[in-house]
Amino acid sequence: MTLALFIGVLVAGGVYLVLQRGMVRITFGFVLLSHGANLMLISAGVAARRDEPLVHLSDLADAADALPQAFALTAIVIAFSITIYMLALAGAGKGDDDTEDRT
Amino acid sequence: MVLPLVLSLLALVALAAPMLDRFLGRAAGWPLAVVFLLLGAIIAVDAPRIVTHGEDIEFSAPWMPTFDVSFNLLLDGTGLLFVVLVLGVGALIMGYSAQYFSRGKHADYYFLMSLFAAAMFGLVIADDVVLLFVFWELTTICSFFLIGRTGLTANKPAVRTLLLTAAGGLALLAAVIVMIVHIGTAQLSVILADPAWQEDPAFATTVGVLIIIAAFTKSAQFPFHYWLPDAMAASTPVSAYLHAAAMVKAGIYLLMRFSPALADNVTWNVALIGFGLLTAIIGALFALQRHDLKELLAYSTVSQLGFLVAVIGIGTPAALAAAGVHTLAHALFKATLFMLVGVIDREVGSRDIRRLTGLRRVMPITAALAALSALSMAGVPPLLGFISKEKLFAGFLEAPGPEFAGPLVGAVAVVGAVLTFAYSFRIVYGAFGGPTTQTKLREPSLVLLLPAAVSSIAGLVLGFYAGWLDLLIDRIVLDTRGIPGEVHLSLWHGLAPEVYMSAITIAVGVVLFVKREAIDRLLDRPLFPVTGVGVFERCFDGTIALGARVGDLTRTNAPTRHLALPVALIAVLTGAVLVGGIGVPPFPEPVTEPVDWLLIGLLVVGIVGMVIAKSRLAALALLGVVGFVVALFFFLLGAPDVGLTQLLVEVLTVVVAVLILRRLPTLFHPTSRARKGFAAVVALIAGSAAALGTYALTGRREISPAGEYFLREAEEDTGGTNVVNTILVDYRALDTLGELTVLGIAGLIIIAVLDSSGLLPGDRGSRVATFSGTAIGSATGNTVLARTVGRWLAPLLILLSLYLLLRGHDEPGGGFISALVGGAGFALAYLSAPSAAAAPIRWPYVGLIASGIGLATLTGVLGFADGSFLRPLHADVPLFGDVTYHFTTALVFDVGVYLAVIGVIIAALNRLGIEEYEVTDRGSMDNRQPVPPDGQAESPGGQDTADPAETTSVAGGEQR
Amino acid sequence: MNSALLAVLVIVPLLAAALLVVMREPVALRRVILLGTNAFALAFAVWLVVETWGGQVLGHNIALWPDGIAIPFVADMFSALMVVVTALLSLVCSAFGVASGDDDRHYFAPLVLTLSAGVYGALLTADLFNLFVFIEVMLLPSYGLIAMLGGMSRLSAGRLYVTMNLLTSTILLAGVALVYGAAGTVNIAELAGLGKESPVVGAAMGAVLIALSIKAAVVPVHGWLARTYPYTSPAVTALFSGLHTKVAIYAIYRLYAVIFDGDSRYLWIGVLVMSATMLIGVLGAVGEETTRSILAFHMVSQIGYILLGVALFGPIGLMAGIFYLLHHMIVKASLFLSTGAVEVAYGTNELGRISGIARTEPVVAAAFLGAAFSLAGLPPFSGFVAKLTLVTAAISEEQIYAAVIAIIVSLLTLMSMLKIWKGVFWGRAHEDEVHAVSARKPGALLTHISPSLALPGLVLAAVTLSLGVGGQLLLALSEQAALGLLDPSAYIEAVIG
Repeated sequence: MTLALFIGVLVAGGVYLVLQRGMVRITFGFVLLSHGANLMLISAGVAARRDEPLVHLSDLADAADALPQAFALTAIVIAFSITIYMLALAGAGKGDDDTEDRT
Repeated sequence: MVLPLVLSLLALVALAAPMLDRFLGRAAGWPLAVVFLLLGAIIAVDAPRIVTHGEDIEFSAPWMPTFDVSFNLLLDGTGLLFVVLVLGVGALIMGYSAQYFSRGKHADYYFLMSLFAAAMFGLVIADDVVLLFVFWELTTICSFFLIGRTGLTANKPAVRTLLLTAAGGLALLAAVIVMIVHIGTAQLSVILADPAWQEDPAFATTVGVLIIIAAFTKSAQFPFHYWLPDAMAASTPVSAYLHAAAMVKAGIYLLMRFSPALADNVTWNVALIGFGLLTAIIGALFALQRHDLKELLAYSTVSQLGFLVAVIGIGTPAALAAAGVHTLAHALFKATLFMLVGVIDREVGSRDIRRLTGLRRVMPITAALAALSALSMAGVPPLLGFISKEKLFAGFLEAPGPEFAGPLVGAVAVVGAVLTFAYSFRIVYGAFGGPTTQTKLREPSLVLLLPAAVSSIAGLVLGFYAGWLDLLIDRIVLDTRGIPGEVHLSLWHGLAPEVYMSAITIAVGVVLFVKREAIDRLLDRPLFPVTGVGVFERCFDGTIALGARVGDLTRTNAPTRHLALPVALIAVLTGAVLVGGIGVPPFPEPVTEPVDWLLIGLLVVGIVGMVIAKSRLAALALLGVVGFVVALFFFLLGAPDVGLTQLLVEVLTVVVAVLILRRLPTLFHPTSRARKGFAAVVALIAGSAAALGTYALTGRREISPAGEYFLREAEEDTGGTNVVNTILVDYRALDTLGELTVLGIAGLIIIAVLDSSGLLPGDRGSRVATFSGTAIGSATGNTVLARTVGRWLAPLLILLSLYLLLRGHDEPGGGFISALVGGAGFALAYLSAPSAAAAPIRWPYVGLIASGIGLATLTGVLGFADGSFLRPLHADVPLFGDVTYHFTTALVFDVGVYLAVIGVIIAALNRLGIEEYEVTDRGSMDNRQPVPPDGQAESPGGQDTADPAETTSVAGGEQR
Repeated sequence: MNSALLAVLVIVPLLAAALLVVMREPVALRRVILLGTNAFALAFAVWLVVETWGGQVLGHNIALWPDGIAIPFVADMFSALMVVVTALLSLVCSAFGVASGDDDRHYFAPLVLTLSAGVYGALLTADLFNLFVFIEVMLLPSYGLIAMLGGMSRLSAGRLYVTMNLLTSTILLAGVALVYGAAGTVNIAELAGLGKESPVVGAAMGAVLIALSIKAAVVPVHGWLARTYPYTSPAVTALFSGLHTKVAIYAIYRLYAVIFDGDSRYLWIGVLVMSATMLIGVLGAVGEETTRSILAFHMVSQIGYILLGVALFGPIGLMAGIFYLLHHMIVKASLFLSTGAVEVAYGTNELGRISGIARTEPVVAAAFLGAAFSLAGLPPFSGFVAKLTLVTAAISEEQIYAAVIAIIVSLLTLMSMLKIWKGVFWGRAHEDEVHAVSARKPGALLTHISPSLALPGLVLAAVTLSLGVGGQLLLALSEQAALGLLDPSAYIEAVIG
């Protein structure tokens, strides 16, 4: 429930920024969107189980599903890669990061 | 065996034609003519079997058995008639071309003409509907090139012709497919024999209409008639062969071929008779209007084809017999006339009957031959045209339907015939009659006239000995109506009605000829408000305009207009699911904890802030805040590795972002209220969709079998106790390999793109300095703190990262986290450097990236030793005494990850951090140095940029 | 063959790419590595087809972990065929890139190789999340290629391309997350049939399919493709056209066949959308004024044809669709390369700016025309067989309207191809063009397009011709592939058997 709400807020904010003008804001928007997607992955495990999936250190009966965490890790890094590239695009070329058609 | 032999020989001839042309030039026509005749002879050997014993020559070979399409060939009487046209007239035209063209190379011409002959031959012997269609289209394509090759003026007509005939072809394709689907075979003879034609009128009519469209486009019937005159842009031999004798007859062939199946279909009868006669009349009228002999002939062809279509529509044995005879007769006289018009054009330099006059005195033979053919066309005895015309009349009188149908159709036919008579004389008189003005003209070489002579004299001979054709025509009736015909062709066979009709025709025709001035005045006005070509062009342009409008819908590079659509699709899906309803199971255990609400609160603050922020840096700061909140949530959800990674990624994102922001205006671009509103609506939709999806689809089941397995078996399987890390480097190392490739490539493409497009000038340092107080501001003074801390912290972080790398398998850490920590260290070292110029860490980061990817992959390859890619190998390395270190290649893999990540981070810092950037397009890392000297960089406020003029980068496009 | 070797298709290009990143000299060797790697992949792929002949399915758990735990790599006839064409195209396009000078950019070769590795992975994996990862591996190099090569507007095109694909990838990722949330697995075989049986999984998969459809540039989300593909370099456009959207299409075919088990409830949506895609795409093409933007819009239209195959889910429909898919990859690349050769040599792709070069460039003209007729579905080219089978499928499934649209669209296709032909190859030759170029290449007065530049397009045009005349071979293969989709049990067996 809370997780769903949290994700909803992230996505809403992300989409709003993505629909704005200028590469930087769009990039920020995507950062938020990827947060949302990553949390969705975590949530796809069972949010009721919130112990760390560390053998010996925590009670595996309540340990969280490690698989979606691995997914999320992978997704975070991929999102990071694209983010820095988009920032580079925002700073590349002439003028500024405007994304409107030049007429 | 004879059919495929001849067919393949024709194809070979086509391929050989360019060779012949190379050696013989235009004279290549002669050998080609001979070959055509020889091939005709080969067929002739079997002809008696066909016409006398009613046999068919067949051949069958598989082509696409999967789709039940075969290479079936079948030659019957009908086919034979058209083969005679293809090879006979073909030979004449080839011989004619050898003299007609200017000396020199005509390779493409001879190639295309031979290819056309092959295609046309295949068309009339194909016994598979798909094969039939293939050859049908091939003739269209040949026609396209033969018209287009004539020159600039012919380009548009060629395109018009192709599009129109191709459209007809598609109708044929549709018919073919409907037949295949409905009857279940592609073999033409089987299809035609199928009872479905009688039992299922809907099917019969559908196919019938499609066939009619195809035939009408090919044979230039109203309303498609206009392409034929348009196609006269082609050279005369092409017109004579394709657009008089052979190709335009393909439609006639198709109609005759399908007569057995459709001759009793009312739609078929009405459409063919109606449009056929209409075309016959219109064509004749147009012919009477025209002064250009070639155009006149074209319209006369349209008219004659109209007669043929109409008589096929009658569908009685007599009618189809007439169709057979007239097809032959028309081919003979029309080919002759075209050839002779070509001769006149060549000798006199004009085809306009207003400028030609009295040529009979200077070129009597030409005149005689032309007259002979024209009389045949006019239906004057004792020529073959007379006999065929009478047969037509006889056929028309048998028109199906009510009593008056026969007489009515007959009457209309007579009108058409009268007009035909009139324009036939118009041709002869126009060119050869009247006073002779150009007296110095002379008869062309007899060699040039020979082919025309053959065909026109054939028309005369066959007039007297028409009986020779009886057997063939009988066979055609058998093929097209299923009952053997009893045709007796002769000039005189009693006072039948058609005799009177001929008499009327000739009588009235003569009157019209005498009154020709009056007729000309009468017809000297447009008969229709629109021209076919005009209508076509309007549709053509209209389509293009429509297309442009369709393109405009998406004609923008602004992401917004594109990005809203996917959200809309997701909204649709969500809506559908909500409406349809999917019984979601209940939550087995509560998934919410009070503390979550606190995080949501923080998040909302951050998001709202970002949404309303006008300053880039403010938004960035808030982005950082949100990132940390998210990381916190990860920790709360028992995902320490994810949380750690999230934190570090956030730091690095902010650093990189700062490096870019200093090159951009302080404030975001202003956006209109309307746009904000639109974005807000879309955003809310997206947000609710995401929330609903998460709420409905996650957390409602027990832990998955896989997740359960990992918790249970991870240590046993891998020796690691940090389950997440074991998944990353052992179970799903392939994902990780892909992920680190992605990261590495990101580094490379940043370099590549900056190399080709350069970077904005970094002249906004001061404003940034107020925010961060680092080397970005690049003032020595305000970085003291950062430097003192950084100098100690950076190395520590890098050490820590190595530690994290080693322990990662067991506790939070591992390749990415450790590398990101190390990266943070470098970032700190970078930021705390006294000047941006001193900052860049001169490491071969490209090499790091490559070696990282390489090392990880190679480690994976080692796994093949144990049977599979990325299979981790284990070994206990004795350290000292009995202490051993459990070594696994998974660690080496992680090292690869580490290298790549560090490489990318340094690459980003270096490439985005330096002040100036000139484009090289040679992405090498060593030839790139910060432009400004250190002294300048020391200047307070860091206004350490050269004049923007120098700094503007060259876009690759300009270099091309 | 030992199915563990499937991973080789990913390993070899990756290693080659890593090597080419650090190795600058000698250029000749770099080219040998680039082309050699692709050639190897092609050979390997052909072997795959042989191995999967007759319904064999090769499956392998990467790193030999148990079923359902490991990431499975699987190859059946469908994936094998896709791999073959992918390898062929990346070989030919790389060759063109070498000839056109794109390869002079240091990162061209590594990026192309990584791209192909990503495609192979995406074609072979039977794991949804891994599919997402490999799609990213394919996309990242593309982001670079599209923005580093091409004309002035390449940056804004690059920005649009990145943002659009990133949004789509995010949706895809979210979809995968929801699938895991709903079903507790992302293993395609373990998910088999669930899309049909469990509405929850069906809904989650819906998001995945939408993401894939956007990547496939289906109407109404086709605009990004038409706006980005024409603005990078011809070699890259050809490569993208051949590979990118096709991976998404492949995934749609596979996922709908396995996870939705060809659920007939949703097919009508497909027929509707694909008919619209065919029509809108071709109309857009007719309206454009540069060769590559015409061709880009055609991709949209043709994607409609291809996906109509899956919407007509059935033996003929799937066979036709797969045949169309493979034919289209080849033909479209051929067209981009032929027109690209003209563009590289004459420096423009605007209709009318160059014209009448048919006589001076007979080879390119022939290659273009062959491929163009094939695209329009004229015999004797492969496009004819594709159109014939697809329309037959539509009519036998009684989707008359779709059939009619497909037929009309093919006429409009011919129309726009003639527009290019008339605008570039026929008409009066521009003297100034001739001089401009002959100045650049002294002594070259007649043909400005070097054989190495003309050959790639010609090769592919020859392929489409042979696939038309000898259509049986590919038809038989496509039929096997289609059967593998109709009854995915062998595929599932190979993954979690």
